[in-house]
Amino acid sequence: MHRCLIIEDDADNARYIARGLSAQGWQVSICSSPSQAAGQVLEPAWDVIVLDRMLSGDVDGLSILQTLRAHGRRTPVLVLSALAATDERVRGLKAGCDDYLTKPFSLIELSARIEALVRRSDPAESPRELRAADLRIDLITRSVERSGRLIALQPREFRLLAYLMLHQGRTVTRTMLLEAVWDYRFDPQTNLIDVHISRLRNKIDREAQFPLIHTVRGAGYMLAARPGAAASEA
Amino acid sequence: MRALVRWGSSIALRQALGHALLVVVTMAILLLIVYQQTVGAWRLRIDREIDVTTRHLVEYERRLGPAALAAHINALLGDGIASDTEIYALITADGRALAGNLSVDDSLRQAAGGIGDRDVVRAGRPSHARLCITALQDGALLVVGRDMQDQRALRQLMRRASVWAAAATVLLAAAGALILRRQLEQRIGGIRRTAHEIERGDLARRVPISPHEDEFARLSRDINAMLDRIHDLMEGVRHVSNTIAHNIRTPLARAVARLATAQQAPDPGASLPAAVESAIGEIQDLNSVLEKLLRIAEVESGTRRQAFTTVSLNAVVVDALDLYGALAEARGLRLTHAFAPHAMVEGDADLLANAVANLLDNAIKFSPPGGSIHVDTRVDRTQVMVAVRDRGPGIAPQARESVGIRFYRVDRTVPGWGLGLASVRAIAQLHGGSLQLLDGAPGLEARLIFPAPADG
Repeated sequence: MHRCLIIEDDADNARYIARGLSAQGWQVSICSSPSQAAGQVLEPAWDVIVLDRMLSGDVDGLSILQTLRAHGRRTPVLVLSALAATDERVRGLKAGCDDYLTKPFSLIELSARIEALVRRSDPAESPRELRAADLRIDLITRSVERSGRLIALQPREFRLLAYLMLHQGRTVTRTMLLEAVWDYRFDPQTNLIDVHISRLRNKIDREAQFPLIHTVRGAGYMLAARPGAAASEA
Repeated sequence: MRALVRWGSSIALRQALGHALLVVVTMAILLLIVYQQTVGAWRLRIDREIDVTTRHLVEYERRLGPAALAAHINALLGDGIASDTEIYALITADGRALAGNLSVDDSLRQAAGGIGDRDVVRAGRPSHARLCITALQDGALLVVGRDMQDQRALRQLMRRASVWAAAATVLLAAAGALILRRQLEQRIGGIRRTAHEIERGDLARRVPISPHEDEFARLSRDINAMLDRIHDLMEGVRHVSNTIAHNIRTPLARAVARLATAQQAPDPGASLPAAVESAIGEIQDLNSVLEKLLRIAEVESGTRRQAFTTVSLNAVVVDALDLYGALAEARGLRLTHAFAPHAMVEGDADLLANAVANLLDNAIKFSPPGGSIHVDTRVDRTQVMVAVRDRGPGIAPQARESVGIRFYRVDRTVPGWGLGLASVRAIAQLHGGSLQLLDGAPGLEARLIFPAPADG
């Protein structure tokens, strides 16, 4: 079971996050005081830390983050902030956060990003090959095979599939895909990702016995051998 | 005293005094040179004449004796040449005048040898003269000289002229200082008055521009342009806060109304879930509107200019086409492109991508099924451009002005917030460029025009 520390002085918001993450099997601790947080972040128990930027007493959450990094801890940190401006985001990333989410946010977006962070920090993960059921992709030669049949993909389609496979069994949101695969940091007016996913499905799933790419209603997409495999994994 | 201090702090006065000093010094040098070239040269010529004559007469006396010299001197005095200035005297060893027009006294003997200035009596009249007194072998004295009255008069004339000229210069400089100061005061006064009025809150004030096309007119124009920009920004802020208030309150009111209705319904349990879902939807939409507004504000503030690099516009368009190509295809639209080589822009790649994506998004949104969209980049000496042309309904000329104003929407039946082109326009302006909407006949041609990077 993964453990998450939430540093947030707004009790309602903290509870909302905690409840949402607990429901997905996380063990969650809440810390509402910046002074306690500075000590707690250094405990090695956490798999991920969710850090609010504006804390009580005019404390900038980034100062806590800097303390953590100054101690050489690489615990993944997701910063929450109402400050959306690009230079604020850049400041956050410079201070050593791994992801930056603007308030208000959906719980789905938050949990999907946290899952991705934990996955990324897993040291064992630097594979050459990824597998999901009968789908196999080679990250070096960029070849894709399903049930032994070679599938030709455009470079961008390959990146999309690779990202989904790296996070298999977990929900990835459209924003995450747009950021990771296209490197776009804005919200397009039309749901472009759906179109790209449907093209990818055509190539991966259409001639297969069972689908691998699933739509998670109201959230995004998931690549899994069986839908709902997320909870049993990890 | 206070007036003096005020004058001391006047740039005009300091300038005028400086100029006056310069003119006076220049004049002094000029006069000195003129004096040297006229009076000095004249004196040299006279000295040479006196010297030549003296040598001639000494030689004459050596060959023919004193009596012949006396006769010769008298002949020279009587010949009518230079008779009003020439001075001669031949004086015996015992002090008697043998010949000449000079009243003799003892002091002459002591001054023998060389040329010098002396006050003497010539033909019975006092005279300032330049004399060469030579002792002859038998103890006699030969005096050859010139009356210098004219030269002295010239010197006095020049001195007087110098004094008058200096006085006139100083007076003119003072007058010039006054005029310059008044002019400066007048020209700067306009700027200062405007500044004070603006400070007191009258923001519509502008610096009056004088008809003279000079430094002050240019400065005034620059200041006015700056004031216009500030005014526009403030107006923008006011307009935005009004429209934002309207566009945020409306959906909020809708969400509240729906929730309240569901709560008061006879069976809240049945109607609440739907109401809650729609309220969450409304609030999420609001959030994305706020996000977009903040983005636009951030772009307009200009802070992102610090992160500018040289960006390939073609690469930006390729990425956007890659992203939107699938959507266009799904809608049955033909998406074509043409690239000019080396379409480089000084800018922020993220924002440029955002702008191009917005134009593509609009083109796809407004294209009829089976339509076509053409994207191309163009480069010339001064500008770099990306144009997106669709075959949709286009925008009526009178509406084109308003497009790009936040929340303005041409067609309210098409979903959207009216923020896309506002953000494109802000991004274009951040890059020193512009967004142009042209008649694509039929359809719309949206052009993003950027200045070409300085190094070509």
